[in-house]
Amino acid sequence: MKFKLTLLLLLAALTFSYGQDNRAFKAGEKLIFSAAYNMSGILTDVAEVRMETSEMNTSSSKLLHLKCTATTYSSFDSYFKIRDLYESYVNPRTITPYLYNREINEGGYYKFVKYKYNHKTNRVNSVIKKKTKNTASGFWDKKENVKINGGTKDIVATIYKIRTLDIKKAPIGASDSFTVLFDNKQTKFRFKLLAKETINTALGKKECYKLAISTSGTDVLKGSNSNLLWLTADENKIPVFAKFKIAVGSGELKIKSATGLKN
Amino acid sequence: MRKLSIILGLIFAVLAVILSVLPLYKLAFIPAILAAIFGIVAFLKARNQDLPTHVIQVVFLLTIISLSLATYKTIFTVAEVGDTKELKQTEDKRKEEAKEELEDIIITD
Repeated sequence: MKFKLTLLLLLAALTFSYGQDNRAFKAGEKLIFSAAYNMSGILTDVAEVRMETSEMNTSSSKLLHLKCTATTYSSFDSYFKIRDLYESYVNPRTITPYLYNREINEGGYYKFVKYKYNHKTNRVNSVIKKKTKNTASGFWDKKENVKINGGTKDIVATIYKIRTLDIKKAPIGASDSFTVLFDNKQTKFRFKLLAKETINTALGKKECYKLAISTSGTDVLKGSNSNLLWLTADENKIPVFAKFKIAVGSGELKIKSATGLKN
Repeated sequence: MRKLSIILGLIFAVLAVILSVLPLYKLAFIPAILAAIFGIVAFLKARNQDLPTHVIQVVFLLTIISLSLATYKTIFTVAEVGDTKELKQTEDKRKEEAKEELEDIIITD
């Protein structure tokens, strides 16, 4: 009996770990969020975050373009203007990334990062570009060939990959980890299913999976259960609410609208 | 105690007015409430000692202005994204580049 129970739990955990094909989203999905930053205990809406998907056809293949943008509200533009672009071109079925771009413009700070994946050799051709006054072109470039583990993804592909996991079969307390390539470094992100909760969102009252996100080997995310993500407990697994605590402060991400959903 | 309350009340009231006109207007509530508390303390002390309350009235006036402005902005301000023309251009440029880069890839799985 004990053996059967262990086997059942193991199977459930494995199901959470190895998600199936993408049944959560399709091309044409548009999610709009409002990002609030905690200032002296008061949450202030500072930016709009968009997550969009579209189709990208090349002569030989069909890819899914996952795009995330962050834009500060006009009232904050004169103080700290943010225009960030994060995008990944992935296999529509398995969410395996092939190309990743990150172009950030944050209060005068500029950075461009590009990863081109070679999954046969498990290597990534990386280009990092920053603005500098020390060169004639005004830019500082770094090209590198980075070795990655099998299954390593960029941050955008990872966020979408979580949505494809078969969470409904996972028991409370189940966890999974993903290796994320960020700034040419591989970081392990761990997701733990804390509970099933019903929360009020702009999309209505939604039953959600509450996940805790933590990292190992880096201090990007602070606290053990301070970074939380609520995904709707349906086939779409829309990220409706998130609480984050990073080195420079804490805040929240709330959904404003969701269109073009798959289910 | 009365003088200290007036000074602190004035400082917090001015700070509340400044914050209420900035995009961080929600933060104005904290110094405004503190200014009101110090204002009340100073007013009670002044009344007990039969001293003038002109400066305390200024504290209250500034507190009311900042609270009204912050409340108005909290209710009626609609958060709107600013100019995204440059970002759109960047997105289009990166998409064109990506199309070229991905031309040679073959999805195997």
